[in-house]
Amino acid sequence: MKKVQFKSNYSQYFFLAPQLLILLIFLYWPIIQTFKDAFTMQDAFGFGSQFAGFDNFLFIFSDPSYFTAFKFTIIYSFVITLITGSIGLLLAVQANKVMHGKSAYKTLLIWPYAIAPAVVGVMANYFFSERYGLLHHLFNNLWGFNWYENVFDAYIYVIIAGSWKQISANFIFFLAGLQAIQKTVIEASIIDCKSNIRRFWTITFPLLMPTTFFLIIINITYAFFDTFGIIDTTTIGAPGSETKTLVYKAYIDGFKGLDLGSAGAQSIMMMIIVLVITIFQFRYIEGKIHYN
Amino acid sequence: MKKLISIFVLLVSFAFTSNSYSKTEIHWWYGNSGFLGDVIIEIANRFNESQDEYMVIPTGKGSYEDNMAATIAAFRAGDQPHYSQVYDAGAAIMVAQVKNGVVIGFEEMAEKYGIDVDADNYIPGIKNFYADGDGKMIGVPFNSSTCLMYANMDILNEVGIEEVPKTYEEFEGMAQKILDAGYIPLLQSHSPWIWTENFFSRHNLLMTDGNNGYDAVPTKTLFAETEAFVYHWTKVKEWYEKGYYGYKGRAWGDNQAPFTNGEAAFWFGSAASFGGMKGVLPNFTTNPIPYWDSVTGGKEYPTFIGGAANWILNGHTEEEYKGLAKFIEFMGSPEMDLYYHNMTGYAAVTKGGIELAETINFYRASPYHKAVGDQLGLEGSTIPGGYRAGNWPQIREVIYENVEPMLNGDITVEKALSNMDKGAEKLLKQFAKTL
Repeated sequence: MKKVQFKSNYSQYFFLAPQLLILLIFLYWPIIQTFKDAFTMQDAFGFGSQFAGFDNFLFIFSDPSYFTAFKFTIIYSFVITLITGSIGLLLAVQANKVMHGKSAYKTLLIWPYAIAPAVVGVMANYFFSERYGLLHHLFNNLWGFNWYENVFDAYIYVIIAGSWKQISANFIFFLAGLQAIQKTVIEASIIDCKSNIRRFWTITFPLLMPTTFFLIIINITYAFFDTFGIIDTTTIGAPGSETKTLVYKAYIDGFKGLDLGSAGAQSIMMMIIVLVITIFQFRYIEGKIHYN
Repeated sequence: MKKLISIFVLLVSFAFTSNSYSKTEIHWWYGNSGFLGDVIIEIANRFNESQDEYMVIPTGKGSYEDNMAATIAAFRAGDQPHYSQVYDAGAAIMVAQVKNGVVIGFEEMAEKYGIDVDADNYIPGIKNFYADGDGKMIGVPFNSSTCLMYANMDILNEVGIEEVPKTYEEFEGMAQKILDAGYIPLLQSHSPWIWTENFFSRHNLLMTDGNNGYDAVPTKTLFAETEAFVYHWTKVKEWYEKGYYGYKGRAWGDNQAPFTNGEAAFWFGSAASFGGMKGVLPNFTTNPIPYWDSVTGGKEYPTFIGGAANWILNGHTEEEYKGLAKFIEFMGSPEMDLYYHNMTGYAAVTKGGIELAETINFYRASPYHKAVGDQLGLEGSTIPGGYRAGNWPQIREVIYENVEPMLNGDITVEKALSNMDKGAEKLLKQFAKTL
């Protein structure tokens, strides 16, 4: 192996500098600011700032709506991951079988991925509007749907709104995953086993595991952070605070309520939660996955 | 090199020419959108046309909350506008910022730059709402509304009701008739503002300790311990169950839409709401909000001022403040005040504007505009004309969060109100720590 040796000891820093600078300004500096906010008590304009220790954390832990948001975020990310993953997989498997007009199907199924969450929320708003919403009328005829006051109905509203777009993301990755599986493996399995379904679960799906694992992380992150725009344009957290995600609550408290201390503490809690989830995933789930 | 020099010369000359022609710019940020935002732009345009020295540049930042957050963020970045519109719930925060040098009070400004508009020129109720503890006016009154009752007269005629209800008792008596005819009797668009804050003002009751925060920094709200308030929400819940009152979520527009479409008899909204209704709903009236006869013993009290004021922000040049002073003077003139009152339905805020309205017999031509002044002009209140409570935007959120589970029966009225108290108490204490 031939080693490339640079003469200068400093040129590498020069080339790294732009990237490091971006990281510093857009990542580390805000994180440091967040820590500062979380451990101080200050008014909206940043005056009267004083060290508050863990007061802001105690404040959010004594807030029942924080736990409601916590509970909702967990339920929401679980359901969204499940729904978008399974529907995305189903669509990908079906689209993979299609012989004619394959790219037309693909394009149409990928399209929603390009739509911003806030726009998805506005569209969902039409579907669930009491006045002219198709889905509202459908569900209302089925069981008396009323998301203004019924928690379960509000869940359905934000879950449908939140899943729709993300199904496309799942579809596109699953499809790519399916196409990456070697034809020889599939052909060999057809000789051994007649059942389509069994073949799928014993051969295809295990081979898709890296994709699935990747998508689980992507979906959870999506439900945690990117659904903000959807919540803001659909239920705004109602009824009660039952459909507030943790991010949305931090936003409401920080930007609408102008309480930066509490919002900072909530951000740090979120950082810890994401850290725990990621460690858990990489330690316990990834170990069971075989990459090709 | 020659080329470079000539480009440089060209650029410099551009810089100088544009400088010599430019007017002093004054930035005004606001939190109204749609039609109300257009009127704000029109006001700025009229000012800009009226003189050559200054140029007011209005910038819409979205909702009231958005504008307040944007103003604060801009201040923290050292890039604040000269003039910013902040709503009623943020008034306590803004008044508290005078001592930190963020906000320049109106009276201080008037003194320094000789504004020809006296603080006493503004009507007292409105002046006091935006004043500090010593009664010095800090915010400059602008769009001042209050909650009003809109009535669809066609529906009332159809079911044979001749007079709109003055009290909740009267409303209760006619609700069944309206319901039987297939209409929603009542809707309202803002539970914290209309049925909490202004429930207290309309019935001459204190909402927080410390005399609504005017005498001392408030430490708690008096929701659950105010019997009349418990009674009111118990009734509201009963109405909701019977169908007398329809709840359409938190969005202002979703609650207004059925009324505008002629499906509801009464709707409680803002004085400035009628603009969008005129020409859509054929036959409606604006009326004072009802009160409980049993609570006040037949007396009527004024509600709080809603809407927003403009606040002068520190950190700009003398020349710019001179221009702003001119602009404030311009907006405080009777003609502009009446123009704004007429266009939007917000109350006339200056004595001059009200006098002008009377001289030209304005209210005969446009009776919609009358109710807001009537209701705000009521006398006899023993409570302050507002509340000075910090973190109020979040307290409104707490109120909303408890109204819904109360209506759907998850928690009792008593529980909901004591939850509100608990949430508010924590937020008030949190705010007190930052003072």
